[in-house]
Amino acid sequence: MDRLVDLVIAAVLLAGLYATMAYGLGLIYGVLRIVNLNHGGMIMAGAYAAWYLHTALGLDPYLALLLVSVAAFFVGILTYRLLVRRLPRGAAGGVQSLLLLFGVWLILRNAAYLLFSGNDQTLRTTYSTRAIAIGNSLVSLNRIAVFGVAIVILIVLHLLLTRTYVGKAIRAVAQNPDSCTLVGIPVERIYALTFGLGTALAAAAGLLGATLFPFNPSFGAAELLKSFVVVVLGGLGSVAGTAIAALILATVEVFAILVIPAYLTAAVGFVLLVLVLVIRPGGLFGQRVLG
Amino acid sequence: MRTANLVLALCALALGACKQSSTDQKQQAAQGSSGAAAPSGTEILIGATLPLTGAESRIGGFYKEGYDLAFEEANQAGGVSVGGKKMPVRLTLLDDTSSQATAASLADRLINSDKVQFLLGTYATNLVEAQTVVAEQNAIPYVNGGGAATAIYKRGYKWVFGLLAPVELLAESIMKWIDAEQQAGKIPKPATISLLWENTSHGKDFRKGVTEFSDKSKNYKVVVDESFELGGKDFSALLGQVKAAKTDLFLADAHLPDYITMQRQYVTAGLCNKVLSYGARGSEKQAADALGKKNVEYILSAVWWSPLLADKNPEAKKFVDTFKAKYQNRVPEWYQALGYETARALFRAIEQAGSLDRNAVREKLAALKMPSVLPGGELTFPAEFGQQSHAPFVVQQNLPDGSSPIVAPPDSATGKGIAPNPNCAK
Amino acid sequence: MKGWLPSWVRPRAAIGLLAACVVLALVPIFNTAIYIHNLLTLTFVGIAAALAWNWLGGYLGQVSFGHAAMFGIGGFVAARVQLSLGMPMLLAWLVGALVAGAFSLVWGHPTLRLRGPYFSIATIGVGEATRLVCTYWDWFTGGSSGLSLPMKSGLKYELYWYGIVLAALALAASYALRRSPMGLSLLAIKSDVDAAGDVGVSPTRLQDLVLFLSGATMGICGSFYASFFSYIEPGDMFGFDRSISWVLMGVIGGIGTIFGPALGAIIFVFVKENLIASYPQLYLGLYGTLLVLVILFEPLGLTGLFLRLVRRARPDLSVTGMAAED
Repeated sequence: MDRLVDLVIAAVLLAGLYATMAYGLGLIYGVLRIVNLNHGGMIMAGAYAAWYLHTALGLDPYLALLLVSVAAFFVGILTYRLLVRRLPRGAAGGVQSLLLLFGVWLILRNAAYLLFSGNDQTLRTTYSTRAIAIGNSLVSLNRIAVFGVAIVILIVLHLLLTRTYVGKAIRAVAQNPDSCTLVGIPVERIYALTFGLGTALAAAAGLLGATLFPFNPSFGAAELLKSFVVVVLGGLGSVAGTAIAALILATVEVFAILVIPAYLTAAVGFVLLVLVLVIRPGGLFGQRVLG
Repeated sequence: MRTANLVLALCALALGACKQSSTDQKQQAAQGSSGAAAPSGTEILIGATLPLTGAESRIGGFYKEGYDLAFEEANQAGGVSVGGKKMPVRLTLLDDTSSQATAASLADRLINSDKVQFLLGTYATNLVEAQTVVAEQNAIPYVNGGGAATAIYKRGYKWVFGLLAPVELLAESIMKWIDAEQQAGKIPKPATISLLWENTSHGKDFRKGVTEFSDKSKNYKVVVDESFELGGKDFSALLGQVKAAKTDLFLADAHLPDYITMQRQYVTAGLCNKVLSYGARGSEKQAADALGKKNVEYILSAVWWSPLLADKNPEAKKFVDTFKAKYQNRVPEWYQALGYETARALFRAIEQAGSLDRNAVREKLAALKMPSVLPGGELTFPAEFGQQSHAPFVVQQNLPDGSSPIVAPPDSATGKGIAPNPNCAK
Repeated sequence: MKGWLPSWVRPRAAIGLLAACVVLALVPIFNTAIYIHNLLTLTFVGIAAALAWNWLGGYLGQVSFGHAAMFGIGGFVAARVQLSLGMPMLLAWLVGALVAGAFSLVWGHPTLRLRGPYFSIATIGVGEATRLVCTYWDWFTGGSSGLSLPMKSGLKYELYWYGIVLAALALAASYALRRSPMGLSLLAIKSDVDAAGDVGVSPTRLQDLVLFLSGATMGICGSFYASFFSYIEPGDMFGFDRSISWVLMGVIGGIGTIFGPALGAIIFVFVKENLIASYPQLYLGLYGTLLVLVILFEPLGLTGLFLRLVRRARPDLSVTGMAAED
């Protein structure tokens, strides 16, 4: 019974981490129909930013969260304006955007190598190993904080998308960009904004990841792949869908240890990804993506 | 149009190849013989690759320090004595970026293009395994301190020599210390084990060492036996299994980042086992910094060399002093020591052979018995182990005062280990 | 001459390929630098692999980020049958190719229905899942220790000529897949799957064929690689970086063109060669920049650049070719 509780808590906390990692990717794809492979690069950048601020200025990562996110927001807008905007929209642009942003990721990786060397870095804070007791289990404070941030982002994003003008504009553009131009919504600006937002979310996720794990310039690759699984599972344009999908993925991965060797639980996500794509490409909650 | 394009490209390839080879031929003529017979030129050319960039760049850099020190030391004495004449040694070091294909290709290049006479090894078992094929194919001595897997030395290769003792032995050393504690009544008999191992060649060998010892001894039972992926981030489910099993011992094998992640989660989850070990990891300063001194207490580790050996081993003391003198009083770790000793072993064999003939040097390497910085004080390449050194490991334990004394083997010990883990009683 | 060649083969192309093969086959007589010899061998495998990737990625427009799966499976199957059954090398290669081809059908057939980036994402999943499972599967791959093939003296040197044949076959297949009537069908499928079906092209059958060929060729390349290095290891064979390298070769060389990826492979190997000594880590950033530039300004990569130059130099020549249709 204890073990079960432990597993459930582990799954929930892991879901928080996965959700945070996946929001940015899902948002950009939902609105721009672009697979942002630089998502991994920005996660890595966020991690290094957090580490650098902590090492050089002694700034706690959670306090730096807003700063790093805002900086990444502008980086995202810049990336959009300089590069992504030139791509053709629609189906033709799909694979090209994939490759373009992948190229940007490679460049970021190289930059990180040159600036910080390929060594693993760790971010240690006073609360790195602090734990609180939930029932009979000890739970990492840091993990709870990450989960908390995931929930906050979920609520904020939801409110943004449903209550604000900008949010509604974003959703409108996601549904039908051409009509939006007709009603006077500045589509290009919304695109840039969304891309910036998605990038900011990625960097935030990276910052949080840095508090939990050691990282190096290759950080972000595994997180990107997991994010794919979450976004595909949750379908598009659904923030709540992303959160639920993260929970599903985390639960499957964590409970899989009861039936398969621990090493193979890492493969579970990928198998799930392929299965969902083949059986129900729209994800569990989203729309159809065939044809 | 496209065909013309392609034909042009292929002809360019061919022309480029011809041009390069003619340059090489000219170089070869200038240098004298291809290095298989009499001493050629005025210096001894030794080649090596190391992961100076990429995943293992930190450790690659350390090995380089060891190589550099050995080469500098030899050259300061005028060089290595070859049949009465002193010849300086020169290292051609290339970066294999931790990639297997690159390591093999660069070995090829060093041998066939740069015409080195001997090879020193790189770091990381899979890179060494790939390079040794090239060395054996080209019949050139390959001395390495970076590949520990027994698989490398089980292929019947004649030209490959390894300074790193197998990881199975590492596991065995830890188990032997635990066994001694068990005989002294400090640990229950029988004792249960949680065995977590990184799914790499290193981890597999560690697991083999533990399970073989446990099978032979009958006083141990491996209850949890799971592997995890290199670079895995979330070990909560795995550690949950360990927690539920409530074993006496926790033995893991991991690279540094996984060790840090896992130990962090271990401590946070409130886990505590009577004996805790992460294989070769534990006493690194970087880990203490990343985890906090309190969280690495009583961790047991076994490594190929420790600076504490300088207390009892004169060769080790000489090495530590020379290293500190060159590198701003920094204390070396086992990487630098192994790099240094690898180069030194090659130099010694060349001296003993009295010539640069590869066969002669190979024979001397096979028969080598050198006073060494390694634990046990002697370096040999026993034929029965495929020319892989089986020098003993030093077992260390992190103590609350921040030190990590050597607790085994007895002739190298500088302190006494403590079991069971006192922190668990709280 | 014209009699026994199919009508869609330009005699000049066939002669050109043959001539190139003969020239390359004779190069070792003049070139005694073993290092260059081995480098060329690796280039040949790279050419074959990049072209095989391109059949799926360029001709069908389905970019795969997981082709290392077939490369690895081919390599390990070939190594395994040579070790366990003592199979002769070429037969082992064939077995490796068939298994790899079959594997690509298993995951590819259902996923090829997906359009655009969804297929690419699926391939990432396939590549990673295969890597993890095969690393775990000790018997098949030796686990993380890998498999070591017994050393055969002189084999590495001989593989040069095998490499020429492999690259030549891949080039010929590339040419055929594009120029033949089947190639037109493939183009139709790439543009619009449903419309293609309407005009009588059987999309599923053709896609499966290309998928199989691509996977099988990758499998042979993997087997070749295993024989060349005499030691293979799952982390290296199935690595994501390896899958990425073919994407880079294909896109930078010219995705969808007949020979572009071959050019990309040659550049890849030679640039890496020359950068490795002086600026080892810069090649990542270099390829990233090239990728960005290609996507933004010249979608057909280096081949596109070359064509532009040709068109500027000789506007009278009709360069309808394959490039114009993309």
